[in-house]
Amino acid sequence: MATTPQPAHRTSRRTSGISRRLLLTATASALFVTATACGSAVNTADGSSADGLITLSMHNPDSRTQDPATWQMVQEFNKQHPDMKIRLEGQPVDQHEQRMTIAAQSGTLPEIFWVYDSLAKTMVKSDDLLDLSPILAENGLKSKFAPSMLAGFRQDGVQYGLPYQALVTGFYYNKALLDEHGIAVPETFEDLLAAVKKLKAAGVAPIAQGANNSAFSVWAFLTMLDRFGYEAKYPDILSGKARYDNADFLRLYRHVEELAEAGAFPSNMNTQTYAQAVASYTDGKAAFLDAGVWEAAKIQKSAVGKDTGFWAGPTFSDGVGEQKLVMNVPSAPFVVSAKVKEDKKKYAAVKAFIQFYYSDAGQKILVDNAQPPVTTYQPQVDTAKNSVFAAVLAEASKSGWKSPKAQPDLVVSAATASAMYDSFYGVMGGSLSPEQAVKNVQKTIESAE
Amino acid sequence: MSTHVDVRPKTTPPSADKDVPHSPRRRGRGRIIVSAAAYLITFVILFPLLWIMLLSFQTNDNILNHPFSLSQLTLDNYRQALDTLNLLVMYKNTLILAVVSVTIGLVISYLAAFALTRMVFRGGRRRTQNTLRFYFLAGLAVPVYILLFPVYRLDISFGLFGTYLALILPYIAVTIPFNILLLTGFLRDFPEEIEQAAVMDGVGLWRMAWKVVFPLMRPVVATLAILNVIYVWNEFPFAVTLINDPNMTTVSLGVSQFQGVYSVNYGAMMASATLVLLPQLAIYAAFQKQVIAGMTAGAVR
Amino acid sequence: MNWLTTRRSFALMVAPALIVYSLYMIYPILYSLYYSFTRFDGVSAGGFAGLDNYRQMAHDDAFWTSMRNTGVVLGIALFLLVPLGFLLAILLSGRVKGSGALRALVFAPAIIAPILVGLIWIFILDPKIGLVNAFLLAIGVPAQPQWIGGPTLSPYSIGLVYLWQQIGFVLTIFYAGLRMLPRDVMEASSLDGAGRWQQLRYIQIPMMRETFGIVTALVVTGVFKVFELVYALTGGGPVHLSEVMVSYMYHITFTTQQYGYGMALAVVVFVVGALASAATFLGNRRKGEVR
Repeated sequence: MATTPQPAHRTSRRTSGISRRLLLTATASALFVTATACGSAVNTADGSSADGLITLSMHNPDSRTQDPATWQMVQEFNKQHPDMKIRLEGQPVDQHEQRMTIAAQSGTLPEIFWVYDSLAKTMVKSDDLLDLSPILAENGLKSKFAPSMLAGFRQDGVQYGLPYQALVTGFYYNKALLDEHGIAVPETFEDLLAAVKKLKAAGVAPIAQGANNSAFSVWAFLTMLDRFGYEAKYPDILSGKARYDNADFLRLYRHVEELAEAGAFPSNMNTQTYAQAVASYTDGKAAFLDAGVWEAAKIQKSAVGKDTGFWAGPTFSDGVGEQKLVMNVPSAPFVVSAKVKEDKKKYAAVKAFIQFYYSDAGQKILVDNAQPPVTTYQPQVDTAKNSVFAAVLAEASKSGWKSPKAQPDLVVSAATASAMYDSFYGVMGGSLSPEQAVKNVQKTIESAE
Repeated sequence: MSTHVDVRPKTTPPSADKDVPHSPRRRGRGRIIVSAAAYLITFVILFPLLWIMLLSFQTNDNILNHPFSLSQLTLDNYRQALDTLNLLVMYKNTLILAVVSVTIGLVISYLAAFALTRMVFRGGRRRTQNTLRFYFLAGLAVPVYILLFPVYRLDISFGLFGTYLALILPYIAVTIPFNILLLTGFLRDFPEEIEQAAVMDGVGLWRMAWKVVFPLMRPVVATLAILNVIYVWNEFPFAVTLINDPNMTTVSLGVSQFQGVYSVNYGAMMASATLVLLPQLAIYAAFQKQVIAGMTAGAVR
Repeated sequence: MNWLTTRRSFALMVAPALIVYSLYMIYPILYSLYYSFTRFDGVSAGGFAGLDNYRQMAHDDAFWTSMRNTGVVLGIALFLLVPLGFLLAILLSGRVKGSGALRALVFAPAIIAPILVGLIWIFILDPKIGLVNAFLLAIGVPAQPQWIGGPTLSPYSIGLVYLWQQIGFVLTIFYAGLRMLPRDVMEASSLDGAGRWQQLRYIQIPMMRETFGIVTALVVTGVFKVFELVYALTGGGPVHLSEVMVSYMYHITFTTQQYGYGMALAVVVFVVGALASAATFLGNRRKGEVR
């Protein structure tokens, strides 16, 4: 015991200097942080509006590569409006939704942002979003839209959103692969099932799907839901007068099971992401890809670009109602923070951006990036150079075919939408029987709607 | 609690790398087998990392479709990563956050741990101290995702949003429970003799805490510093929620930059993962002796 | 030392940590607790729900699956991670040339962002493009198990990835514990002719009870926080079969916007985690006293 304190003293003398310096550094850096904090607070926390700066917050962290249409739109806008400025920012979609939710809670929403419609609807309820009707009324902007493009984004008389892009969804198919195995482009479900069996026997992956962190990637199947009468049924289902686990829907899920049992889906469907599914298609490994128009540009550039066609999906002899349906609906909306109206400069900038986005010049930017216009703008598409995009547009405007008003998952709550995705992927992957799948959705509706 | 802490080993480097003395007759074949096993296991543990580094030199298409073909190795992913990410800014921000939050966090954790273990009251207030200690330790079980909403609100109402402090405060709070766990664990077994001797010399309370006891805690503090820095370096949920200024992004956000809704650039992700990882490995390699020494000194008692 | 301590100085010393911690950790827990009794959707107030959210759990299969999976991970952590970490610590405790470097390398997985850990292991475990199944094919094993993404193996794979991520950390603590063993005891025992195994069985393990206690406590609290690696590895799929408690809570709160229910789940995660770690802490203490 007598010796213990001695080494202690030695060490203490040596390190006290160090710890003092450490403390000093800490204090100094704390001061530094506070100082920079004050500096940056001016232009971020409440955004000095003197320069008409507004923020557009998107669901892609790097729009330049992940959503070039929007990126180019903002660049062009900033060039044409030197007195205004849009700052484009974004996060991966999950984090984006999370952030917008939190921001709405705290009243710190960005001026314009993309958001899933279900979240937008909850924001309307708490008056977080700006009514865009006055902006639409000016310069005849409203007349540029087909009524169906705006109808979905109205609630309690408030036009809270405008279509960001159009959702044209279905199956891309690889003509060369189909030809190689003597398969004609399918039309009915039986055609599709036969094609799947042939492809599977030949060792080709039939339909590329990826569920990992992309459970929403069941677009073609959502259209099929409409071919079993979803659009007529869903108001009653949501209000409890009808059920999701009805005989019609069950028949559809049984068909999905038939596809699964025929080996339509990849063995790693649940671990691959949607992006991986796309890659397997563009690599020529899969014959069909469940996706939408947003992939046209990527597919065009890939090795399978020249062989790719687009198909709205199968018709069903045991379906309900209209079978000639092709999904061509507005995607999630752009919405504007209600706070914008308190600041004239910001309001002017938001208005200018909206007018620019839906002007013909703006819509041309969409088309140039292989996105269909959301207004009535008639695009000029070079069918030779953009064969994939042209094929999608052709399928979307096929005569005698109609579009549902909205995609089935976009008219229900986020919880129900998620349960719907799960129900399809569950049956595709064999972890749910068709009966369980529809029952699960019904259960979610009962607790969430 | 029974193993008595011996201050000696920390100051005698010779024992630093060898704990158990090996008897001479244990050499030879047995030793070769043991070595082979050790190298093999280490390799197996490291393999996933090597695999990722290898993938980072492959094209995105190859990663997804032909991950085993090594035909088209490229530096493109690194070029994209460097193009997209402002690495210097990210490293700078991360460093500021790490240095400030870890320093302050350790200082206040140490003060609290000292008060909770070394202070003696006349009336015997062990109970208060133990209750407080448990109160702090409860934080070990908090899943960080329940903190996001309330922390965001706190930051807004304190006017901190958009500043470094918006992140520093939650980072400090999250590291406090573990800091207190280790620090109190050590301080409780700290030999009273040293304190008594200091008291005889007329040393006051604050001097006691900083000049007498703290220096002996260096190894534990170093350990905690490194573990805390690793935490801040990797922290994602707070960073992605609380940072909305591109000039304030941190390295942990880097990888997510390549994750679009419909497109994921795996190649660039792997490359930026590697770019984030290498400095971390280097830092750890440089300090790992401290970590071990710190744990030895008291963490585990 | 009574003359040293006043209540004022005690308060001064504890206050900074207490304030930051209470504001940024405890207040959020109370906040979540409050919202767990509401139908809050994250944006607009949703009215008081009483115990509904907690009742909902009873009928929520996915919640029970997430509990079970967390249990699987906990089992793997306790019965594989802890013993393997200990054995590895012994293996790397100095006999092997360059063992210092090896220890540093083995620690590497513990310093990687957990979200990256998930990403990395996709490329190893994926049934189609993953390394493991490719290796199985190469050595002539035709089976291509669905390590992740299938209905059964996913939680075990998650447990193993967690083991991989944590083993370096566990090893480090054990190694430190080993070095704390009094040298004279070890020397004496080896002079007495005790074999390596006997030393381990009768001297090292019993003397390291404290260390085992600490490791267990850390591993238990860690398991109840596993999130990112599940999120990246399987996204909780297929159909929530590989969800763990925190990832399921995340899904409910942020993906399905049932904030009230999500917070109820969070409260349960916290309570279960806190109870489990309190149990290990108390268990440690009792063992310590017996000795």
